[in-house]
Amino acid sequence: MPQTDAAAVALARDGNSEAFHALVERHSRAVYRLAYRMTGTPQDAEDVVQETFLRAYKQLGRFESRANFGTWLHRIAVNCSIDLIRSRPHRESALDMPDLEQFGAAAERNDPSGATPERLMLSTEVQERIGTAMSGLSAMERAAFMLRHFEGHSIDEISQSLGLKTNATKHSIFRAVRKMRIALEPFVADS
Amino acid sequence: MIDHLNEDDLVLHYYGELDGAAAAKAEQHLGTCGDCRRAHTRLQQVMAAVDAMPEPVLPDGYERTVWARLQPDLSRPAGWRTWLSFAPAQLAWLAAVAVLVSGAFFAGRMTQRDSGPTTVVTADQVREQVLLAALSEHLDRSQTMLIDLVTADTEGMVDVSTERDRASDLVAANRLYRQSAAASGEASVTELLDQLEELLVELAASPDKLSSEEIDSVRKRIDANGLLFKVRVLSSTVRERQKQQIRTRTGQSS
Repeated sequence: MPQTDAAAVALARDGNSEAFHALVERHSRAVYRLAYRMTGTPQDAEDVVQETFLRAYKQLGRFESRANFGTWLHRIAVNCSIDLIRSRPHRESALDMPDLEQFGAAAERNDPSGATPERLMLSTEVQERIGTAMSGLSAMERAAFMLRHFEGHSIDEISQSLGLKTNATKHSIFRAVRKMRIALEPFVADS
Repeated sequence: MIDHLNEDDLVLHYYGELDGAAAAKAEQHLGTCGDCRRAHTRLQQVMAAVDAMPEPVLPDGYERTVWARLQPDLSRPAGWRTWLSFAPAQLAWLAAVAVLVSGAFFAGRMTQRDSGPTTVVTADQVREQVLLAALSEHLDRSQTMLIDLVTADTEGMVDVSTERDRASDLVAANRLYRQSAAASGEASVTELLDQLEELLVELAASPDKLSSEEIDSVRKRIDANGLLFKVRVLSSTVRERQKQQIRTRTGQSS
């Protein structure tokens, strides 16, 4: 197995499938985590992983050897996630989340009763709460928010990527943040 | 009148999305307004909590599964010769394309003019002919592989390298058939192909040899799902449909 990504890429470019296998071994978990964060479902994340490595394999010739393979792959995975989300506009309405009032009521019901600040600080509970809040985002809200918050893309870049108008992108991010606040604010205030 | 920052302004400010003048104004306001400063701090705390978003838990050997799904697609040679080789993945692809093309053709006929029934049936037959032939071949190959697994010797370590290679060949085709079946709303066929794919992926990712316990576990999974039986039933249904199609065609031409 090649020691470095650069060595593996060089061999894979020459058709060495074992070298590409090594790259899959090293990076597939990270790609899955990113894909899951972007898409929110295991099935879609799997499809993104598959498509990401296929595109990477086909485009190995374009990879600049001085660049970081992980970063390059990360960018492909973001693009694949965006393509998948954009290819399914019907899902947006089908899975559109309840309005913010309903969302707030649901978050309220999930409030751990009698929770002390110490209990609330437990990371598992915080994570559960975040997971619940994330599952309350529509596909577009999730994608826009993830690209802004975790990937550091600007609102203009996100608008271009997702094919939305700037105001629609802002609106998606505002709604996502509002849902996060509704779900997490009691938490952070208490703790 | 105090010009407070609203929730959306705070979000834009947090992400550095306000332009120069607006950002400076917001900063200045936050320096003097306790309410807005508290709201800003709460937003920062919420965003910090979001950073603790849970990571999905992946099973051991996840990388092997990814590779098993990927490898058949990578090894497919490019170029026009590919289309003459009729490997399972290409047959599945051809079948899926045939479904789409004939579907589009059919839709076109329906919307553009009042087509005669004979034309529509012929287009439909072409679609079915390609799909049934390819699917039948795929099911036969899958069935043979399952039988070999079920009847394999269980003494000591069992060499499954042949079955593993066959499973690798079948994975990509199976995925295309499954997606095709799902798109056509064939729920039971989709479910069966999904179960089959799970096993194919697992086998494709397995080492050359399995212990008797491991092979036994594979068998139990085949038995528990009634996989071999279901593949046989579907295979025979497909054959029956092929025969019917031939009969229909013969009846029409005579």
